[in-house]
Amino acid sequence: MAKLTIDGTEIEVPDGTRLFDACADVRGQALPHFCYHPDLAIAGVCRLCQVEVEGMPKLTIACNTMVRDGMVVHTRNDKVRAAAKQILEMHLINHPVDCPICDQAGECGLQDQYMIYGLYDAEVEQADKVHKEKAQVIGPHVILDKERCVLCSRCVRFCADVTGTGEMGIFNRGDRAEIGVAPGVELDNNYSLNTVDICPVGALTSRDFRFEKRVWMLKPTDGICPGCATGCNVRIDHEAGRVYRLKPRRNDAVNGAWMCDKGRMLYKDVHDEHRLGAPRLEGADTDWATAGQAFAARMAAGLGLVVASPHCSLEELHLLKRLAEAKGAGLVAGPAEADRGDGDSLLLDGDRAPNRAGLALLGIEELPGAELANRIASAGATVLVAGGEPGDVAVVGEALRAADTVFLGTHDRATAGAARLVLPGAAWAEKAGIFVNRQGRFQRFLQAVVRTGQARDDWRVLGEVLSGLDQPHPGSLRELRGELAQALDLEHLEHLDNLPAGGLVPREAAGPAAGGDA
Amino acid sequence: MTPKELQILSARFGRDNGHKLAVYEAEGGYTALRMALSGMQPSEVREVVKDAGLRGRGGAGFPTGVKWGFVPEGADMIYFMVNADESEPGTFKDRYLLDYDPHQTIEGTIISCFAVNARTAFIYIRGEFGWLVDRVQKAVDEAYAAGYLGRNILGSGYDLDMIVHKGAGAYICGEETGLINSIEGRKGQPSIKPPFPAVQGFLDKPTIVNNVESVASVPWILNNGAAAYKAIGTEKSCGTKLFSVSGPVKRPGVYEIPLGLSFREFFHEWLGGMADGEELKAVIVGGSSVPVLPAADIMNCNLDYESLGQAGTMLGSGGMIVIPERSDMVELIQVLMHFYYDESCGQCTPCREGTGWLYRIVKRLRGGEGSAKDLDLIEHVCGGMAGLTICPLADAAVMPMRSFLDKFRPEFEALIREPVPAVSSSRWPRGEQE
Repeated sequence: MAKLTIDGTEIEVPDGTRLFDACADVRGQALPHFCYHPDLAIAGVCRLCQVEVEGMPKLTIACNTMVRDGMVVHTRNDKVRAAAKQILEMHLINHPVDCPICDQAGECGLQDQYMIYGLYDAEVEQADKVHKEKAQVIGPHVILDKERCVLCSRCVRFCADVTGTGEMGIFNRGDRAEIGVAPGVELDNNYSLNTVDICPVGALTSRDFRFEKRVWMLKPTDGICPGCATGCNVRIDHEAGRVYRLKPRRNDAVNGAWMCDKGRMLYKDVHDEHRLGAPRLEGADTDWATAGQAFAARMAAGLGLVVASPHCSLEELHLLKRLAEAKGAGLVAGPAEADRGDGDSLLLDGDRAPNRAGLALLGIEELPGAELANRIASAGATVLVAGGEPGDVAVVGEALRAADTVFLGTHDRATAGAARLVLPGAAWAEKAGIFVNRQGRFQRFLQAVVRTGQARDDWRVLGEVLSGLDQPHPGSLRELRGELAQALDLEHLEHLDNLPAGGLVPREAAGPAAGGDA
Repeated sequence: MTPKELQILSARFGRDNGHKLAVYEAEGGYTALRMALSGMQPSEVREVVKDAGLRGRGGAGFPTGVKWGFVPEGADMIYFMVNADESEPGTFKDRYLLDYDPHQTIEGTIISCFAVNARTAFIYIRGEFGWLVDRVQKAVDEAYAAGYLGRNILGSGYDLDMIVHKGAGAYICGEETGLINSIEGRKGQPSIKPPFPAVQGFLDKPTIVNNVESVASVPWILNNGAAAYKAIGTEKSCGTKLFSVSGPVKRPGVYEIPLGLSFREFFHEWLGGMADGEELKAVIVGGSSVPVLPAADIMNCNLDYESLGQAGTMLGSGGMIVIPERSDMVELIQVLMHFYYDESCGQCTPCREGTGWLYRIVKRLRGGEGSAKDLDLIEHVCGGMAGLTICPLADAAVMPMRSFLDKFRPEFEALIREPVPAVSSSRWPRGEQE
């Protein structure tokens, strides 16, 4: 441990702590910075995080300084503030200050630092500015504005060290230096939009989000990416019932500060044209009263098989299981081969469903497509399909059409087309729930936007049916989770309804070490 | 021996075939290497060089023997690099050393490598010195053939390989971490320190980078002993130093002087004073990066680290630029500011933006577009650069800028037209067309 004094406050931190982080602890706010990023190698080039360390002749950058016992550090004195102000001015002299047309405005490091450290009148003559290329498309997802760039090199280091793809580089030198890709090279890897996240200014922006929304109008909601078994923690940015983008939410135990481009684009599914907006009975749109009655009647008459999905939340799976048990119906999921793809060593998992571990936890077996088709064909009574497509239409389509199929789901695809009764459920951004990721980590997601059309929360739909069957039914998600904890023998977890932001792995939480933190 | 006869480094300057091994050997070449390899311990060599008080001749003046001592004990692989990326405006001494007497540098390098236990040495020569690459390579080949390089040098069991590397011509590659990045095949730009190269340098291994003149001094020091070297010069400025003198003096060129020589004597006796019809106005004594001194100030200086330091400038690389009375100081500083603007690697913001800003302000002043507040702005920009960057290039630009403005302010003020133009001539200007 090292004991040091920062701005008059004495603190003790472990040896090997960066002075930058120690300062942030004491200040409750990070030092001004552009190039420092906790997950990237130190570059030390923006020069904004300079602090005064007593006994050293010059100011020193906190990001490349390790704490030493007895250090006396000043981060707020006149000398430090003056240096930050001047360096900020240097960052801005060749900046185009085109904030009114810049997507970054509102979450821009230059704007933020200017409001804290700058507030000076510009000294540079307009005629003196260096101009560079604007709006250069450098890949399928990213667009580059070279003159907004502060050359912090975060994107270069990300592509060099995190993805190892090395598309980005700094070309030329002096104030002609610019970020770019080499001729014939595109920034085309599955993590390219992370460069937009870490770009502290408006140099790299998302082609998808470009000019869509002013960022200060967006509201953030904590979510979990439904794209694969990794379960990257995300921030769902939305406004007026519409999701505009997903951003990674830091969770060092899961995704660090990153997420993949495939996952980011999944928000589009929430609002796409195939969303089921109204219940449908025998091919005709209807209202919930009629549909609910039809559902209850079918359940009373007999349930042959429940086909769950690894896209269902843990709570939904629990209710499906109870429903199957109450009616003595089979409970399967599948097919086992669906939603698989190529994974990578960074985040993307080959298992493209968010809650397959949840299926396993509840003992729900996944069947291969052909076997599933047989089970459906031999169900003998109503088949309830929930959460997603139970596999390839060529394999199971015929069986679904032949059976008395009820579909509780979000999109009007093959299963909805085959079902006699279609109940529109909530998409992942429209509901709250728990996914269990590949580590066995329980992760909570919250409802970000209102549900599309007449779509309803799946757990309520299932709860009502249970109630109609004179089964105990949960009145709230909290109650449902209490029941779930009991079913999973996790009553000792007080937090199933209030999981920590970083999620929780029950077997780890049982021991002394708690799960990851945000 | 008069000062002029003292030739530690320059004995073969201008001599026919001085660059050949036979000539070098005939004049006692490689005896120091034989001495070092027959019985001396590396630590003893380090001690001798430390005791001699040899200071790095590239410009910073850091004690060479002390630098060698920074290599961690027991390191498995150590690299040695000779910095011949001589590109400081006004400096052309290393080029003489390599051109006229490459074997002296090679011998000094082998001894230095032995002292730090390096097994591979690079001589990094700036790209513009193409012919020197050939000359040094030929000398290295001779040294290999004579058994001074390669396996089991002179039967001592010590192995050393020497690689002559041609840079691509960037000033910043003369900064030692920039040099290492360049030789690794990366963009030539400095790395943050720590880690220091002596601990983690080329390929992350301990690496010592020394200037040509520093290593070229080593054979003499070993042959004659630390005391003999220390006897030359002053207490803190030991030995001799090469000065490359340019400007309208009677005899410009490269001179080897005992440190501590008075400028007055050097100027009048050695350089022969100003050329006919010229008058001395100012001197940049140690390469373009050091503060300029007006004639009256420099005349009272001695050419050593302490005296020049007291006068507010630096010995630097010994690249002495003599400025005549007729010179336009603003034009001169514009040339220098363009140099630093052009050569800034661009990674640290204060330097990247500041060097360009300074250049454009000075250019504007000379174009008659300047205003009185531009002079304050120059000082403001300098304040945002000095001491705030990874390497000293920002300081190297600020020191001449500040001193030119400070010592020759009336020349800047004379360019300012009043009243100040309210609006710049072009409202929507195009980019700098440089």
